[in-house]
Amino acid sequence: MSAYPAYLAKRLAQFVMVVFIGVNLAFVITHASPIDPVEQSIAVVTSFGSTAPEAIAAMRSSLQELYGLKGTLAEQYLTFWSRVVRGDFGPSLSAFPTPVSALIGRALPWTAGLLIVSTLITWVLGNLLGGLAGYYQRNRTLKLMGVVAMGVHPIPYYIVALLLLIVFGFLWPVLPITGGSAMNLQQGWNWAFISSVVLHSILPALSLILIGLGSWFLGMRSLVSNIVTEDYVVYAETAGLDSRRVLGSYVMRNALAPQVTGLAMSLGGIFNGAVITEKVFGYPGVGTLLVDAVYAGDYGLVLGVTTVSIIAVSVGVLVIDLLYPLIDPRVELR
Amino acid sequence: MTRLRAWLLTAALLAPAIPFLPTPAAAQGIPQNIPRKELLILENPEGTIKNAAWFNIWAINAGSQSNGLQQAALDTLWYIDPEKGLDGAWDNSLAAEKPVYNADFTEMRVKLRRGLFWSDGVEFTSADVKATVDIQVKAGSMRFSAVLANNVASVEAPDAETVIFKLKKPNSRFHTNFTVRWGAIWILPKHVFDKVEDPAKFDFNKPVSLGAYTLHSFDPDGKWYIWQLREDWQRSSLGRYGKPGPKYLAYIDPGPPDKRVIAQLNHELDVIHDIAPEGMFTLAKQDKGTRAWFKGFPYGHPDPTLPAVIFNTQNEHLKNRDVRWALALMIDVKAVTMAAYRGAATISAIAVPPTGIHPEAYHKPMEAWLKDFEIDTGKSKVKPYDPTVGKQIADMLRPSMGDQIPSDPAVIANSFGLGWWKTNVAAAGELLTRAGFRKQGNQWLTPDGKPFVVRLMVEGDLRPVMTRAGTMIVQQWKQAGIDARIDVAQGTLLTRRAAGDFDAFIGWSVETWGGHQDLSYFMDSWHSQFVAEPGKPQPLRNWQRWTHPEIDKIIEDIRKIDFDDPKGVELGRDYVKLMTREMPIIPLMAYNVFTAMDQTYWKGYPTAEDPYANPVTNWGNSRYMFVRLKPAN
Repeated sequence: MSAYPAYLAKRLAQFVMVVFIGVNLAFVITHASPIDPVEQSIAVVTSFGSTAPEAIAAMRSSLQELYGLKGTLAEQYLTFWSRVVRGDFGPSLSAFPTPVSALIGRALPWTAGLLIVSTLITWVLGNLLGGLAGYYQRNRTLKLMGVVAMGVHPIPYYIVALLLLIVFGFLWPVLPITGGSAMNLQQGWNWAFISSVVLHSILPALSLILIGLGSWFLGMRSLVSNIVTEDYVVYAETAGLDSRRVLGSYVMRNALAPQVTGLAMSLGGIFNGAVITEKVFGYPGVGTLLVDAVYAGDYGLVLGVTTVSIIAVSVGVLVIDLLYPLIDPRVELR
Repeated sequence: MTRLRAWLLTAALLAPAIPFLPTPAAAQGIPQNIPRKELLILENPEGTIKNAAWFNIWAINAGSQSNGLQQAALDTLWYIDPEKGLDGAWDNSLAAEKPVYNADFTEMRVKLRRGLFWSDGVEFTSADVKATVDIQVKAGSMRFSAVLANNVASVEAPDAETVIFKLKKPNSRFHTNFTVRWGAIWILPKHVFDKVEDPAKFDFNKPVSLGAYTLHSFDPDGKWYIWQLREDWQRSSLGRYGKPGPKYLAYIDPGPPDKRVIAQLNHELDVIHDIAPEGMFTLAKQDKGTRAWFKGFPYGHPDPTLPAVIFNTQNEHLKNRDVRWALALMIDVKAVTMAAYRGAATISAIAVPPTGIHPEAYHKPMEAWLKDFEIDTGKSKVKPYDPTVGKQIADMLRPSMGDQIPSDPAVIANSFGLGWWKTNVAAAGELLTRAGFRKQGNQWLTPDGKPFVVRLMVEGDLRPVMTRAGTMIVQQWKQAGIDARIDVAQGTLLTRRAAGDFDAFIGWSVETWGGHQDLSYFMDSWHSQFVAEPGKPQPLRNWQRWTHPEIDKIIEDIRKIDFDDPKGVELGRDYVKLMTREMPIIPLMAYNVFTAMDQTYWKGYPTAEDPYANPVTNWGNSRYMFVRLKPAN
């Protein structure tokens, strides 16, 4: 492990570079957007009444000043980086003057709560069942699960979500179909609110689990199917080891490494929000925030969400990279 | 693994969810701890509000205004309902009477009602009106700062019930800034804002109300707002019409159209702001308690806006009136209404929406002129108007929709509209030929020999009805030999519209009061003095960037007369004739808003038979329905 410090330094440098390039790309892409937040704001304001054209021109100028869009692109770029370093993304343009960080801070717990729980459930269930299916290849129940997973996996997400909405929201209306909690409840650590949040998360979580389960299941089954033919597994079985020990200690542990990488990537991606899920179920998370910000031309908010996401995914990858050499002796430190 | 193990595993995984599984009743999307029979649930079409805790409507982009804030809690001097109103379309709200101008319209005097109070017990006076102007002008960057600074030289409050506005220049329509169409300059509470350092950055949470309701609670994540009837509701301007029926109002984000339909079928959403025609048809079929503006087809409430094909008249080819008329004559509006609204539309051949008072003021009186209207194509003379198109649409729908389609000609005219232009591809060809175009095979070429390309911009899935209309028009133009293309803006329409970055688009440039015949609401900004150079942003409306000496003359004449002067209608009809001759936009139909109202818990909604208010939930004047709603049982 003497090479580890050099490996650490190299990976950290890569991390900084990836974040720098990613955030710059986000800046360029958002500023190339054809949507003008000033015109969006003017449209909202003028919808109130027959505002005189001279007043519109004055308002346009005032908004450009207010939103900090009057400077050159280079000045905006420097301002942006100085803010990123301080963790301040400035005010949201479409929800002026609320800070972007406040909007993200409010949306993130919803997204994180929903996605962390559903991702972990999906990952654990998918890998467990996939591992069993790969190992006990003659079991009829597990075979049937494989057929179901193959069938469900390619179904577009929104179809599953819509089916769940119709079944549990209309035909048998036992579950709420929109929002993060019931109306007129005090948000906080009280049972009424917590149980309502759990209740409201069942349908979006179920839709994520149903679709996500298939890919983890199929991936793990495939990995395990390959590993069971490896010499060390055959030898262990021939040596008469208990099949549960072979499965747990030899097969699953070796098959899990790539799945752990996938999990880290998935958890990092949480900061992007599950855009379709949140839109379909009206969930008040980061995905909804991001889509609304794109439509409103809210550069600040889009940049805030994407920057947080870039950093989170990069951190996830970095952590895995740093942990791998410590847990997997097959990884070479180069 | 045995089956028993599999079942045990499943049961173990599902067990933690059991305590949360609700009874059907508990699962409903109803605010907790409020009796349903006291609660009216309405859709906030703004969806989920990002900065939910902002109630300072005078700041730009601050919070929501359709969350009940402008409907239940705010008030201003006057209202004009797009329909008939409770006591006429014009309503003196905080003002005791109509505005009084001096002879040259440089001064507006307002007499206020007395006995009205803010919800914190402070009396409303002229000082609040004066502060509304002074604070916004001083701040400079608030919602109405620019319009007030441009117009108001000073505002005086000589006594508690009198306000005198001294204007910088003659303006016979200044009062319209304080007149609710769907919103207006709302009056702010001086006693609250006087204590605020920066009024543009003040959240006004919790809002002090001048309306009949006060804020009860709201979702920090912006999904819902609940308002409660003031105990002293008589001390609000709405109080003179009686006690509002619902004790509580909930403005909610019910989600996309399919969920709105499900919510109303579950009786969890009393008033849907707007859904697609298909959603409306589903509700009409499956829920006998659902009521729309029209009892049957075409259901929707005609907004006082006018969807049209709006040309960019600064485009080299579209500058020519003959070319614009040629494109109009290639359209079959029956197919367009079928594509857009499945036929549930109210068509209009003239550039005024068929809404509120306008059919009586403009559409019906101008029928004779339209029937005689003639176009000289250079080769022939044609009378393009067909007064039977509305009836044809009704007849076309009758076989499939049965007795939902009215047979009374007056009802048909009211529901489906009167006439439109006959499709006449031959006459269109003659007009294009006179404009120097020529046809090669089935392809029209421009005078310089290139294919005649027209890109029609549509909004995409943000406004599906208009997108479907645009797609049908493009198809019809293509069949007639134009190289027409759909240009999906998908979120960029506002920017591109302002910049003039389009050949034509589907949208509206005409918006009216509906309940009042005056057309200056949109027309004033059509004066040539406001038309931007190509590539420069265009001020509000006149997106067609059209200039004409006759429209300037009409606008200048309207500016010199009083809002209620009967001469305004005559000038309005001159405008219609000019627009018909010049065709800078091709009027299509009213923007029908499919507002669905569930009568399970409440009855007395405004309808076409009893049009006392606009039912559309985000309009400020939808507040009038509160005093007419009664519990259903």
